[in-house]
Amino acid sequence: MDNVAIIGWSAAPVRALQTKADADLHILEHELLAPIVIDAISKACVTRDMIGSAIFTVPRPYTMQKYLHTFMIGQLRLACSGTVMEVMGNGMTGALAFDQACAEIQLGRAQVALAVGVNMETATSASEHMMESMRATGDVDFQSIAGIPPIAWYAMDAMRYMHDFGATPEQLAAVAVKNRRHASLNPLAQFREPITIADVLAARRIVEPLGLLDVPGRSDAAICLVLASESVARATGRPYAILRGRGFSHDGSHQISDRRTDITALPAAQRAGAAAFSQAGIGQQDIDVAEIYAPCTIVEILVSEALGFFPRGKGGEAALAGDTELGGRKPLSTSGGLTSRGHPAYVTSLYNMGELFDQLTGAAGERQVANARFGLSSGELGNYNAALVHVLEGIQ
Amino acid sequence: MTLPIIPFEGRRPYPPRVTELTATFWNGLAQGEWRTTRCRSCANLTFPPKKICPFCWSDSMEWAALATRGTLYSWTQIHVAPAAFRSQAPYHVGIVDLEDGVRLACSLLTTPDLPPRCDAQVEIVALQAEDGPLFVARMSG
Repeated sequence: MDNVAIIGWSAAPVRALQTKADADLHILEHELLAPIVIDAISKACVTRDMIGSAIFTVPRPYTMQKYLHTFMIGQLRLACSGTVMEVMGNGMTGALAFDQACAEIQLGRAQVALAVGVNMETATSASEHMMESMRATGDVDFQSIAGIPPIAWYAMDAMRYMHDFGATPEQLAAVAVKNRRHASLNPLAQFREPITIADVLAARRIVEPLGLLDVPGRSDAAICLVLASESVARATGRPYAILRGRGFSHDGSHQISDRRTDITALPAAQRAGAAAFSQAGIGQQDIDVAEIYAPCTIVEILVSEALGFFPRGKGGEAALAGDTELGGRKPLSTSGGLTSRGHPAYVTSLYNMGELFDQLTGAAGERQVANARFGLSSGELGNYNAALVHVLEGIQ
Repeated sequence: MTLPIIPFEGRRPYPPRVTELTATFWNGLAQGEWRTTRCRSCANLTFPPKKICPFCWSDSMEWAALATRGTLYSWTQIHVAPAAFRSQAPYHVGIVDLEDGVRLACSLLTTPDLPPRCDAQVEIVALQAEDGPLFVARMSG
């Protein structure tokens, strides 16, 4: 089986773009995405006839054009003989699109495959959006009845983590400050104005103990990654990033178990990470840079522990000590992460993959981690009830 | 075990859908009855009530009483709420570990004297709204 490589990508800056349903002039998904697909293919140094498969992330329900994947194929006259499909998996959607595009190449269905998508949601208010999202992260008839939106579960993680390990609001805030500093160096990032720990602690409360700067904003975005077999990648004569390891785990529960489990241990992330490291033949100590799917500050801390970067209960201290900053011993979310690069949820993990590609090919500019060779990306659904971890290696 | 029943003004913000199976739960809750399904094969309680046991996949289930007391595993106060709950905000929700080992998530009734904290004692109470019941946890110590 030939290896799979990311060979190029293109993306819109993450912003609030979506127009209201009654706007005189609209910004529409297909007009945003089409030039990005063409730019990505151009940057990857391949031609359109080489593309065998196109794996799309499902659009948000607010996208009027349904079957957007085949509509886009029509917009670009992009005939394919591998697979054209949309994938969906809540927050894991982008990671699954990447994963499926890799599989298309591994299965020999395509020499070149796109992992591509657009996420438009900001014209729908947060309170209306939560009427949708609370039904995805809970039992509609036995949990949503209490009005528990997705970030409330993360808030309860934070509350328990602080109780169990003595973590402080300052430690959580350090993640937001660090991510904002990284985002200030990333032209694609949505929130780039530097912030301080005092700003994070003083921000208005959203879900205790998390405030406005501990949680993600709302984001629109469009992105296309180009994947290829390693032989195609090599023939381009350009640096690329190869998939070395992949791990998936679902913990068998939806959001929370109906038994006493430790909700901040994230066993699915532990197992998915271990499987990815094992397949890659490396350990967590070999990872030079990681893009963590972490919608809230607390989640980055918990995942950094579940993946073994820091001992249990020490992730908060590590964040406050600067260990996860650019220049620290384990740089996390150099893109700015979900809190500052932005969180267009269904394509978030594709942006994380794009950042890893740039880091591993020496193209990350001011955000470059020196000599970065191995990178890791994590995707999740629920409260990390399921995790999908990929380990990449840069080939220069 | 019978739950205290507390009046709730108005209608439930986001009422549950009721099935033939769960009607037994909700109709009972309206009378203060607090119960779920237990597997006749492996004896595991499951919450919410289910037709099939998630542990052993048996379809032989019976109704059994749930513990009415437990501890608060975690909690939050929601300031920015889904549209149906905006008029209630800010409000508390929590994850509760009942004494019989069952874990659930629900709304949380607090008082200034009994603010929420992890591992505090809670009891389940039934709220009686105009259109039906809800179960919530009330801080008790």
